[in-house]
Amino acid sequence: MAAALAEGGAPKAKELVKTVQLEGQVLLKIMQHCSDPQHQLASGALLGLDVGQQLEVTDCFAMPASLAEDQAEAVDTVVEDYQTAMLRALREVNVDNNLVGWYQSASMGIFQTVELVETFNSYLDNIKKCVAIIYDPQRSSRGSLAVRAVRLKESFIELFREQKCTVKGLRDANLSWRDIFVDLPIKIRNSNLVQAVVADLVPPPTATQADVDRLNLSFAPFLERNIQSLMECVDDIVAEQHKVTSYHKAVARQQQLYASWLAKRRQDNQLLAQEGKELLPEEDPSQFKPIPEPSILDHYLVTAQMASFCDQINAASSEAIQKLFLMEGMQKAQI
Amino acid sequence: MASSVLLPGVSNLSVKVHPVVLLSICDAYIRRKEHQDRVIGTLLGVVVDNVIEVKNCYVVPHNESSDQVLVDLNHHKTMFDMLQKVAPHEVIVGWFATGADLYNSDPLIQEFYNKESTHPVHLVVDTTLKDNKFSIKAYLSRPLAFGDKQLATEFVQLPCDTIVSDIERVGAELMLTGLNDPSPESKRETANKSFSDEGETLQGSMARLADLVARASDYVQNVVDAMMVTYLSDLLRAHVALAERLGTAALPIM
Repeated sequence: MAAALAEGGAPKAKELVKTVQLEGQVLLKIMQHCSDPQHQLASGALLGLDVGQQLEVTDCFAMPASLAEDQAEAVDTVVEDYQTAMLRALREVNVDNNLVGWYQSASMGIFQTVELVETFNSYLDNIKKCVAIIYDPQRSSRGSLAVRAVRLKESFIELFREQKCTVKGLRDANLSWRDIFVDLPIKIRNSNLVQAVVADLVPPPTATQADVDRLNLSFAPFLERNIQSLMECVDDIVAEQHKVTSYHKAVARQQQLYASWLAKRRQDNQLLAQEGKELLPEEDPSQFKPIPEPSILDHYLVTAQMASFCDQINAASSEAIQKLFLMEGMQKAQI
Repeated sequence: MASSVLLPGVSNLSVKVHPVVLLSICDAYIRRKEHQDRVIGTLLGVVVDNVIEVKNCYVVPHNESSDQVLVDLNHHKTMFDMLQKVAPHEVIVGWFATGADLYNSDPLIQEFYNKESTHPVHLVVDTTLKDNKFSIKAYLSRPLAFGDKQLATEFVQLPCDTIVSDIERVGAELMLTGLNDPSPESKRETANKSFSDEGETLQGSMARLADLVARASDYVQNVVDAMMVTYLSDLLRAHVALAERLGTAALPIM
């Protein structure tokens, strides 16, 4: 009976989010909130519905940033209170009051942190299909839209919950650093009314600051910042590596100590046996506790972060090369 | 405008609305309750140098019949308090309503917002798309009094415009791609397109730049032409004056 129930329930639970559909107003709200220079790290909640493999985000609201700074312990309850109050208020005006995830700003695309994984974990308690929308205000001000939708890979979540993010655990589960986050394609959908409005709002085709920024040939500052972050990541990796090495050293030393202790104990026992006395136990758990293996989650996250930096650099360079070719073409046309 | 003369201090007020507000209002209108004619709500924003910039808004549930209107003040208050925590610099600048025209109950609602803000703006967003056009209008109210007796409230129209910041423009342009192509497939395709498609945006920028250069050179050309004509005519006049002074009409022109 229970098995049958589990079987019936399994396909539903296994249905994963494949795409994220954003309503235009959500995108604009996120952009407005995250681009506000007053907010260093802006975040907010996403509301919507999940329809099969697609997550429809129809509305969102900002979370106050000051809450997080005030009192560290009470944050959770304050945030929760704020969320419930807002949800209740929004329900009165018929907004989808179903929490489906959250959005946050990430300058230079730095978001792969343990905190994010932990936030995901706490969200997943309540929302099975939870996504995070990451918006990069810096890159967006360069004239392109830098929005990503990510979720955690389900196999990784299981491992994280069992706290088995060790070398062995991850290797057994056959997970690489690529398998932590899953990037989801984003679609934009507008109601017919909004589409009419947007069409009416068509910005006049004049060149704006964004165009100038986009056509700017120099991408050195961007590259510089990216490479700097990349270097910091490498430092982190080295530090993590160091942790692992010292762990291995500690284990080796412990094994050595244990071996010598065991030899001595056996010797003692031999003597005791000759004297016909009771033998001492050959194991002493109090003295040789297994050293906890360090989590290599950080390792993985930093690696994933580095990969995304490299992607950014690649994109930026190909963009720069495009522009340079464009320039060349224009110069030739003039001669 | 003759009417603005009568409103000292607010004569050169103008209203700028961010597109996100309009999109939210449209969404709220779609989500209105059954049998509900229109939605109303509070507008938040900042006032700088006589320009009221509307940056945010939220719906306030209300109920109206022919002679009375019930606005959920509780909801208004809680929403405002909560949004203040996120953006403390944004204040109440007025209220919005959907529909093509002003309603009879508008003065009552305006009266309420008078207590919340010094110059509450009444923004009317036409969601019915009358004349196949989307329009927004902003009004300011002033009392019509006879002696001490208040007779009515008059709504005076204010200049109102949408303001699109650079970043919002990127988003709006993204929503527009594929709109001009009528086939449904193309719409779906554009929706699926990657956001970081640089080539397309670059192309757009380039086209706009080329357009700008063409216009500038056109303008310069025109200016040069006009200057040349002026110069020649001035030269001619100088010659005539010179000839007159010297008393000879036989002076060679050049």
